[in-house]
Amino acid sequence: MDDSATTPAQAPPYLKAWEDYVAACQVLFERLTDPAAADVGGPTPLAFLGSWKDFATNLGMRPDSAAVDGLNPQGMFASLLPALGYSREHQEIGRRMLELTGKFQRRYADFVQQSTEIGRSALQATHRQASNDETLLATPAAIYDAWIDSAEGAYAQAAHGEPFARLMADLCNILSGFKIERGKLLEALARQFDWPSRAEVDSLHRQVRTLRSAAAKAKGAAKAKGAAKPTTGLTRRGKRKTRKATRRADR
Amino acid sequence: MTANESFARLLQDAAAMQERAQSALRAMRDIGEVQVGLSEKSCVYAEDRIQLHRYAPLARSAKLPPLLICYAMVNRPYMLDLQPDRSLIRELLSLGVDVYLLDWGYPDGSDRFTPLTEYVCGYLGRCVDFILEQNAVDALNLLGVCQGGTMSLCYAALERQHIANLITMVSPVDFKTPENLLSKWAQHIDVGLLTQSGNVPGEFLNLVYLALMPFRLTQQKYVNLLQMESDRGQLENFLRMEKWIFDSPDQPATAFREFIQWFYQENRLIRGELALDGRQVLLKNIQCPVLNIYAANDHLVPPSASIPLGAHVGSEDYEALQVDVGHIGMYVSGKARKNVPAAIVRWLLERKP
Repeated sequence: MDDSATTPAQAPPYLKAWEDYVAACQVLFERLTDPAAADVGGPTPLAFLGSWKDFATNLGMRPDSAAVDGLNPQGMFASLLPALGYSREHQEIGRRMLELTGKFQRRYADFVQQSTEIGRSALQATHRQASNDETLLATPAAIYDAWIDSAEGAYAQAAHGEPFARLMADLCNILSGFKIERGKLLEALARQFDWPSRAEVDSLHRQVRTLRSAAAKAKGAAKAKGAAKPTTGLTRRGKRKTRKATRRADR
Repeated sequence: MTANESFARLLQDAAAMQERAQSALRAMRDIGEVQVGLSEKSCVYAEDRIQLHRYAPLARSAKLPPLLICYAMVNRPYMLDLQPDRSLIRELLSLGVDVYLLDWGYPDGSDRFTPLTEYVCGYLGRCVDFILEQNAVDALNLLGVCQGGTMSLCYAALERQHIANLITMVSPVDFKTPENLLSKWAQHIDVGLLTQSGNVPGEFLNLVYLALMPFRLTQQKYVNLLQMESDRGQLENFLRMEKWIFDSPDQPATAFREFIQWFYQENRLIRGELALDGRQVLLKNIQCPVLNIYAANDHLVPPSASIPLGAHVGSEDYEALQVDVGHIGMYVSGKARKNVPAAIVRWLLERKP
């Protein structure tokens, strides 16, 4: 794709990014509507990403994952002295939160990469389908549904794999850890304002649990002592003839 | 068709879709809040967060023992009575069944330390006791749905004298089968860490459910919604379902941790290694007749998670019923509505004392 032909060199980066994106969509559309011309399994038209990166750089953002890869909070803190002084405990919490943030960013980058691969597989599968079934191209709805089917298929394949399960669990575990550290900071804040702390509320909840349990037991015991047994009712049958069967509801 | 022709066609279609979307949005604006769970019922027993409802009869009694429905804690039970023409409960009532429903409610911080044992042996047990006493019977029929089915199995294994017949519906028994995506994801989750800061938000569960089929559940269904021909009935159905899907209660931390760890991660139930209330929960202790209903296309509880029940229960009267629907379709689809309540009642009548 020759971008210079359509956008002047001095065009604002956001305009170039947008135009490249539209051009990529057009290429994609042409491929989908003309399976004969489609390079099935060929590269996805992702050239427009370069313009977005330039745009991001223009805004002062880091253009690629190098920033994340280069980020090593542990390393940052390793060069510093251990947490000292009045705010030592809070510094420690802050350090752990930073560590977790770094870990989360790395794993989230993995997640984005997985998602991109799933998207690419889905697109290729849609291509193949469209090449074999022209009716898919008859309406946007048909091609959209085909894409959804392909995307779910590609996603399911990845999602059932061990790396994906690890990834999901890591993201969940990191966020859980972050939530705990954040809770410690809030706990400190609560003390400053003389609000009930989480630990205090938990203690009350434990007592509520104990009291509820004791009340239920006492009630049950009293009932067992005072209440008469049911006098009428159903009696249990003997074992029926062995019958283990499987059937289908619609048969 | 050339690219230009295709593009023109695309624009035409897009305009038509836009018109339909506007029309659907206008229709939705007029609907307002949808109502769910409309069958007449009364709360006959309440304790802490839980409520036991008894439904008003709709037909002459079939003279069956009362039926207690134990629903999952992870969703709201009104799915079983979503609307008059999509209600498993209503169908059962119309067939003369005396229906009770255990509603776990919305747990809050005070439930954080309530263990799973208390839910199974405590709350569920006391609801059973109440129904037995109210009806002056020795045993009732228990219908456990989804996670509630697993809990019902545990209860039936421990208190078998109280259960005349046990029905499980889309209930997991073997939590480690290859098709079970939820289980795969659960294996590496540090559930102790997850629950250390309190109850697990319902929103977390919603995210997990959406992540099982993200493209269909976060995109396609809304695109399809906007293409409905502003049919008020259809839109109301959609909104009721939408309400139910996202109306997930927070999960009490301790019970949730135990459930994930003991069932999903360690698969204790089927291995005979589960203990509740200091007693071992053995499926072979379930001696009453068992009807196991599962959905052929269930993405939450795949058939492979339910089917093994037959090989583990002690009952010699075991029957499995496969319905060609998905997990939610089991409650609301036309196919399930037509077959499932009738099959349940027929099965119960065959075992009527």
